[in-house]
Amino acid sequence: MFPATPYSEASVFVRQMRRLEQDVLRMGALVENSCRLSHQALFEHNLVAAEAIAPLDKQIDQFYRRIELDCIQLITLQAPVAQDTRLLGAYMQLIRDLERIGDYAKNLADIAIKLFPHPPHPCMAQIEVMSLQTQTMLATSLVALVDLDAEVGRRIKQMDCAVDAGYAAVYDILAQTPLVCTNPSSAPSSHQTLEPFILLALAIRHLERMADHATNIGQRVAFIVTGQRG
Amino acid sequence: MLTPLVAFISGLSLGIVIWWSQRLHFHRQLTDVLNALPITAVGNYASLISNLRRGVRLSSQRQFDLESQLQTWQQLIQVAPLGFLLVDSENQLLACNTYAQHLLHIQNWGFGRPRLMLEVIRSYELDQLIEQTRRSYQPQEQEWLFYPTLADPDAAGRPAALTLHGYTWPLNDGRVAIFLENRQPVIELSRSRDQWMVDLAHELKTPLTSIQLVAEALHSRLDPPLQVWVSRLLQEVTRLITLVQNWLDLSQMSAQPPTPLATQQLDLPALIRAAWQTLEPQARQKHIALAYVGPETLVTSGDEMRLYRAFLNLLDNALKYSPPEASIEVHITPTATDVHISVIDHGPGFPETDLPHVFERFYRGQTNDPMPLSRSNGSGLGLAIVEQIILAHRGMIRASNHPKTGGAWLQITLPGHLLPTPNPQTTPP
Repeated sequence: MFPATPYSEASVFVRQMRRLEQDVLRMGALVENSCRLSHQALFEHNLVAAEAIAPLDKQIDQFYRRIELDCIQLITLQAPVAQDTRLLGAYMQLIRDLERIGDYAKNLADIAIKLFPHPPHPCMAQIEVMSLQTQTMLATSLVALVDLDAEVGRRIKQMDCAVDAGYAAVYDILAQTPLVCTNPSSAPSSHQTLEPFILLALAIRHLERMADHATNIGQRVAFIVTGQRG
Repeated sequence: MLTPLVAFISGLSLGIVIWWSQRLHFHRQLTDVLNALPITAVGNYASLISNLRRGVRLSSQRQFDLESQLQTWQQLIQVAPLGFLLVDSENQLLACNTYAQHLLHIQNWGFGRPRLMLEVIRSYELDQLIEQTRRSYQPQEQEWLFYPTLADPDAAGRPAALTLHGYTWPLNDGRVAIFLENRQPVIELSRSRDQWMVDLAHELKTPLTSIQLVAEALHSRLDPPLQVWVSRLLQEVTRLITLVQNWLDLSQMSAQPPTPLATQQLDLPALIRAAWQTLEPQARQKHIALAYVGPETLVTSGDEMRLYRAFLNLLDNALKYSPPEASIEVHITPTATDVHISVIDHGPGFPETDLPHVFERFYRGQTNDPMPLSRSNGSGLGLAIVEQIILAHRGMIRASNHPKTGGAWLQITLPGHLLPTPNPQTTPP
């Protein structure tokens, strides 16, 4: 339970790197929270969750700016070598990915608010699976970053294929919906608008982009470890 | 002849002096060492060396005892039925007991380099709790939902969230100790209890309605002496049906996710007057009047049916606990951001010890009625329903005793964004 005493004599640079890593992980945890909230807003009709995302997004942006600045300072002042340089460079790139994922989560929450009055579409179950897969990818990419595990980083790319397949499937369902409602039971009084379909198309697009950014993070981890682009 | 002897003697004496001063110096150093020992061995030993030997032996014994004590404590923490974490000033995880590892799904703990808390447990809430503890240097506690990272990323299922309750304790050097309690079993138990009650209420409703219908049929066919018994039966059955219906309503309103409100524009004072009119017959029996202070009309938006229900329950309660010929006061004060509504009666008020519990299900105030359960038709759900309705409108409700009347004082705050922007096209109902 009580492992070796921590290295208190660690150099200033090592400490700064640890602090930076901690901030990146904090930002990652926040983005994960955003994704969970957007999921609750979309699939559990939880509007309180939808409203809770905006302040989170603001915090994520603050982390983004601070980490970027810290990275630049470390690179210029400490002149790191080899893996540390790659780590710092990768951090600067992957916080951009994280920030984008956070933005998409916020957009999904906005979609959830607009989608709220419309009856749920049958393909929501498929979209929910996509959302869960995306969240798993994000979590896995953060684990890969913590463990600096190039293998896990590469595996995320395979998981991305599942999300892409889900995107294609739901897109087909939406695209094949006839424009004129031939169902005689729907009287002209029931307002049949295109809005829910547009919103759903946007939602799957956002999820697909989130998954792509998570894939990027995984690949950057592989780059940190091996120095080669996958 | 004498010169070598003198030289020898003076050399010897010089040697003796040097030896003596060195011995003195050594003695002083030994005494210092002896004093520096944590245990001063005040023995009767003549020799300083024996004293020192004893001191060293005692202190190594003491050290051994302390070490074994420390080991015992560490073992106890290790097996404690509560999660324990310890982080240093740089948020590196120093300790993590078996329960915490199991609770937070921590694998391969304790190998390699010391790791950051966030590397092992990716929880922003826990991180913030630790920061807060360190900044305030005060123990903190908080409850949050923890989503463990899936061990197998291919199984894209819903990750089971855990409700954790964390208690932190600040230590010196910026270290923070954290105790984690798993609240999930309690939450699940209360959820299953609620579900059980809803199922039971559903099962009860149908036979009760049948009994009511049969009793009504009987009532019209019986003659006076027997009819009284059946009307008593009818009264009780109606009370049971109301209770069951209230329970079902309450469960529906507090369900997750909540059922959306049917929001529309409404006149708040008119709504309260309508609720009062429903209660007018009972009020007239006790000669109780409604004293309203506030604007004549105040158009806001809200769910009319539910707000009506809330005010009906509040006024009904006030009526029930008011002495005859008293008045019930209702105040409406609109501010720039909120609407404040107060309902005050002249009854005995809430007992001080009950105040934190008045919105709990099946809470029932003290009445002068000797048989409150059979006579008063309250279900003990009235205020719980009111609270759920106000919360659904994102408002707040507070119960206290009014300093002047001594009766119950219920203060409601409905948020201002319920106030609609002036819109000439819609007319208030």
